[in-house]
Amino acid sequence: MSAYNRGTELDLSWISKIQVNHPAVLRRAEQIQARRTVKKEWQAAWLLKAVTFIDLTTLSGDDTSSNIQRLCYKAKYPIREDLLKALNMHDKGITTAAVCVYPARVCDAVKALKAAGCNIPVASVATGFPAGQTHLKTRLEEIRLAVEDGATEIDVVINRSLVLTGQWEGSDFIKTSTGKETVNATFPVAIVMLRAIRDFFWKTGNKIGFKPAGGIRSAKDSLAWLSLVKEELGDEWLKPELFRIGASTLLSDIERQIYHHVTGRYAAYHDLPMS
Amino acid sequence: MRTGVIGLILPPTFSFLEMMWRICPALAVGCTVVALVPPASPTPLLLAQLSGELGPFPGVLNVISGPASLVPILASQPGIQKVAFCGALEEGRALRRSLAGECAELGLALGTESLLLLTDTADIDSAVEGVVDAAWSDRGPGGLRLLIQESVWDEAMRRLQERMGRLRSGRGLDGAVDMGARGAAACDLVQRFVCEAQSQGAQVFQAGDVPSERPFCPPTLVSNLPPASPCAQVEVPWPVVVASPFRTAKEALLVANGTPRGGSASVWSERLGQALELGYGLQVGTVWINAHGLRDPSVPTGGCKESGCSWHGGPDGLYEYLRPSGTPAQLSCLSKNLNYDTFGLAVPSTLPAGPEIGPSPAPPYGLFVGGRFQAPGARSSRPIRDSSGNLHGYVAEGGAKDIRGAVEAAHQAFPGWAGQSPGARAALLWALAAALERRKSTLASRLERQGAELKAAEAEVELSARRLRAWGARVQAQGHTLQVAGLRGPVLRLREPLGVLAVVCPDEWPLLAFVSLLAPALAYGNTVVMVPSAACPLLALEVCQDMATVFPAGLANVVTGDRDHLTRCLALHQDVQAMWYFGSAQGSQFVEWASAGNLKPVWASRGCPRAWDQEAEGAGPELGLRAARTKALWLPMGD
Repeated sequence: MSAYNRGTELDLSWISKIQVNHPAVLRRAEQIQARRTVKKEWQAAWLLKAVTFIDLTTLSGDDTSSNIQRLCYKAKYPIREDLLKALNMHDKGITTAAVCVYPARVCDAVKALKAAGCNIPVASVATGFPAGQTHLKTRLEEIRLAVEDGATEIDVVINRSLVLTGQWEGSDFIKTSTGKETVNATFPVAIVMLRAIRDFFWKTGNKIGFKPAGGIRSAKDSLAWLSLVKEELGDEWLKPELFRIGASTLLSDIERQIYHHVTGRYAAYHDLPMS
Repeated sequence: MRTGVIGLILPPTFSFLEMMWRICPALAVGCTVVALVPPASPTPLLLAQLSGELGPFPGVLNVISGPASLVPILASQPGIQKVAFCGALEEGRALRRSLAGECAELGLALGTESLLLLTDTADIDSAVEGVVDAAWSDRGPGGLRLLIQESVWDEAMRRLQERMGRLRSGRGLDGAVDMGARGAAACDLVQRFVCEAQSQGAQVFQAGDVPSERPFCPPTLVSNLPPASPCAQVEVPWPVVVASPFRTAKEALLVANGTPRGGSASVWSERLGQALELGYGLQVGTVWINAHGLRDPSVPTGGCKESGCSWHGGPDGLYEYLRPSGTPAQLSCLSKNLNYDTFGLAVPSTLPAGPEIGPSPAPPYGLFVGGRFQAPGARSSRPIRDSSGNLHGYVAEGGAKDIRGAVEAAHQAFPGWAGQSPGARAALLWALAAALERRKSTLASRLERQGAELKAAEAEVELSARRLRAWGARVQAQGHTLQVAGLRGPVLRLREPLGVLAVVCPDEWPLLAFVSLLAPALAYGNTVVMVPSAACPLLALEVCQDMATVFPAGLANVVTGDRDHLTRCLALHQDVQAMWYFGSAQGSQFVEWASAGNLKPVWASRGCPRAWDQEAEGAGPELGLRAARTKALWLPMGD
């Protein structure tokens, strides 16, 4: 993680002065997807870079230690070994950025990663994920227990009732949503958030990270996200310390694209290891 | 009714889409097109191939790829009924001068500069994207003048410079570039502009990932350019953005309207009232609110002032290629030995041949300027004879000074009049109609002295009053909104007044023609300077007596005198926004030639008589079209 956000005094005048014109932002969002297309070996390189930003996530009701173990192994070896060898990237230590699980599964995740010999962080969702409507006492206890079990990053669900009444909190990262809503990470929303991050950096010097989550399934989308961050914030933010993508099926699509790039053929479902 | 053969002259910077936007309406209406395109770009070849595919209809679309020297040759070909020229200002001017009197009509679409107005209540990041769309991309036609409110100057400049750093320039087929190159000539123009701007004290900032080879020029931001410097007067080339600050919205309008160019502009403000006020106040052809560069074939796109007054797209674009049914094609009135320098310069003397016999007439009429009768500057008057040769009265001999005074008075009255609602204007026109009817007997007797029958004279007076009422009513019923596919939100097609309209009335129908021209001009919000019928201006002056009581001062100004001399003064006046001329063929040619000075739209009769008593010609929709100009106001919706 980058240096912690020291925070500033809450100054609501910063927010009231900001104007956002929705149709203009929508237009910009359309343009982003069309205007920065990357092809061939550069596309492969960007895809590998995108892999290093993924918070490999599993947040379903039937998570058990077996699928967590599979997930952690996949986080350590996201792309099949021979494909990486063909790209000469097998020794660059390409792993996903983190593994993201429910608090009850943090123990299993830590154990599985240790067994695989991997030191990527375990992130836990906490504080009454996904609705956030639990008592403050239990929410704090959840965080404490998750950290005790070995999680080093927490995805906090903010108390929306506080938001709607204008009582704000600070953070090191901002995330588009829990990923469990009907509409999750869209480009117009992201553009506004990235501009806010940039403004905050210009005003205070603190760099806040950004994580879109939910609905990012195709490799093409992930490339658009990368170029969006590059355009709005610059190369400094294209690091796992400041940018994460919360995704689960994205990794398999990226792997398929890499397979196609290396072999020239389209993979079958069973050609690539499950996550 | 369609016009006929169109000669279309296109500049090298046009994309295929823009060419099609001009060709397709012409073809759709039934005209045939000869397009002259410079050989610099490969798009004309694609165009020619397309026209070859129109197998069953050979000759409908013809493409000539040739240098600019062919332009006057094409324009003066006898078969061409209309020349539509798109390109640079000076060439358009030269073309206007050389085509004066020729049978082809001329439509001009000049200049490529646009304007972006950034207020302090704008979404600055999105406005910066608007600047990129306007100037630093392949979609924008030319450079940009950027007006930024002082309080957000630093923020806006910082974001602009950041954004410029991320732009990429390269060959067009590379999928990840923002802009390409437009040829070595464009590059040289930019270099010259930048050097001059720097020598005049401006700061120049260039950034972006641009190859250093010849035809690529980097995105450029020029600031602190003194407004009085020569660089600030010329058109801004692509891809340069010239940024200047303003303090209040009022100042913004003054600065924005303070150039001769009037193409397109965008206003960035989240306050609806302010955005609309600025949008209505800008003297341009297209205004986008919180957007830039949106285009659609169903929305009229054009300009005003020195951006030329021809339109493409929407209903106005179709009217370019149509003329009213029943009117003959324009005849050439070209007189090769018309001396533009001496036409109308000297006033022939009007000394009477011998002593006057008969009862002493009333004292001479003055000029009707600024709401009252005044003596002319030259302090002389001319006699008017009736149909039997007797003296009917004396009218003032107006000169250049009087024209100047009349135009000034009209300008003073214009803001108030244009700001009135259509209903208020209609009310005044109706009041004038009522006044005319009250004075029917006086007017009819004057007309009788000019040789009309009593019944015909009375009918003329009644028709005049009816026309005044009709135009008042017509202006009130105006539909505005256009539907544009793919846009959420309306696009308004506004009809705005031109400004000060100069009208030279025909000799015949001294009352009816005068009123038929006055009514639509006033109804649409213009103020007028009229030169009444030379044969009998007394009718017009009688109407002035009523106008003095009914109208605000300066609304309509009537100047009598030598027609050619007054025509010359009006045609050469830089502050007259449009001119209608119904006099001789020679005068028409002069008026067309002289309009090149400020590129005012001209409607000249070329010596052909017009049936003023017929509905179609005397009160038809053509008058309404010519009395106002269009503005497209885009209002994208969403929160």
